[in-house]
Amino acid sequence: MPVGAERRLRLLRDPDGPAAWNMAVDDALLELARVPTLRLYGWQPHAVSLGWFQPWADFATLPPDTPVVRRATGGGAIHHGDEMTFSLALDAERLPGDVAAGYGLLHDAVQRALADCGVASERLATGHAQRARPGSPWCFADPGRDDLVTERGKLLGSAQRRVRTDRPRVLHHGSLVLHAPPLTPFVAAVADVRPVDEALRQQLAERLTSRFAEVLDLEPFPGALTAGERALATRLQHERHEDPARLRRR
Amino acid sequence: MRPNDRKFLKSHEWCKIENGVATIGITDYAVSHLSDLVFLDLPKQGASVTIGESFGEIESVKAVSSLYAPISGEVVAVNKDLPDHLEWLAEAPFGKAWMLKVKVSAQSPDLMDVKAYDAHCKAEG
Repeated sequence: MPVGAERRLRLLRDPDGPAAWNMAVDDALLELARVPTLRLYGWQPHAVSLGWFQPWADFATLPPDTPVVRRATGGGAIHHGDEMTFSLALDAERLPGDVAAGYGLLHDAVQRALADCGVASERLATGHAQRARPGSPWCFADPGRDDLVTERGKLLGSAQRRVRTDRPRVLHHGSLVLHAPPLTPFVAAVADVRPVDEALRQQLAERLTSRFAEVLDLEPFPGALTAGERALATRLQHERHEDPARLRRR
Repeated sequence: MRPNDRKFLKSHEWCKIENGVATIGITDYAVSHLSDLVFLDLPKQGASVTIGESFGEIESVKAVSSLYAPISGEVVAVNKDLPDHLEWLAEAPFGKAWMLKVKVSAQSPDLMDVKAYDAHCKAEG
């Protein structure tokens, strides 16, 4: 870490929001956030997000009223139902240079947070690397090395976007399933292990924040979007994430 | 040993300029820090690329990374076979895994020679 660098982790606790807004905020954070930022949020209405490179044609049979958005990050599609979604936007130098090692670090943090809440999971140490395009178009269908799993299956979906603006930056997305969503009933969920009530949701949010801060060696503090971030997110929501042509361009 | 007949960017792209045409690719260091490459998106012949701006994207381990242009100019050739043979990037990043050939109109002032690039990689770890 550079001498004198900001050692704080801004925490954004957002209410459940629509898909286009959720992705636009994360894009804005990747571009503009000057402080390492952890954002916790959910999806209302529930929605499907596609990985950046996924072909639209693979999702032609989705129920017609399903909101769909294309993430900036890679990997497979996720049906975002009742889950705790997080994004981390930070300088790349705060993560290991090796992409897989970065996943390992962040997945360790999630695993410890789950354990703090009485939810045991395993980080797969063997098997193929996390494959960007498994046999199924769904992210949770094919657990690989470094994925967090329970006996039932994969519990956490993750993906990244790496850019270099004035400096190398990373946006890391994570979807921690609380209840299995209807389009992907095969996923593991926290509710398989223990009942999910408001107290558990609060505890998970607090433990995730603490564990991410711990592995990143940062001090968390509650924050809010800056005016610039909010303005950019508003623009990107309309121009980027509500544009059907962009959604279907692959 | 990296070849000393080309220039490098901090973001790990290389370019080799011959007779006003730059051949562009990514380095062994970039490839080694990615893994399980699955997708590569490159511009079409005739497109323009601009110094410091993204000319393509590559996906590995569910991470999408942008590729940045070391020069400005018009794309005169694209390695169309590379997206179907991403293993070439590990086998020969400075050879058959070239990505674009671009008619050069300007070069980035941030291009490094191989000695400086080696030191940059060492500093990044």
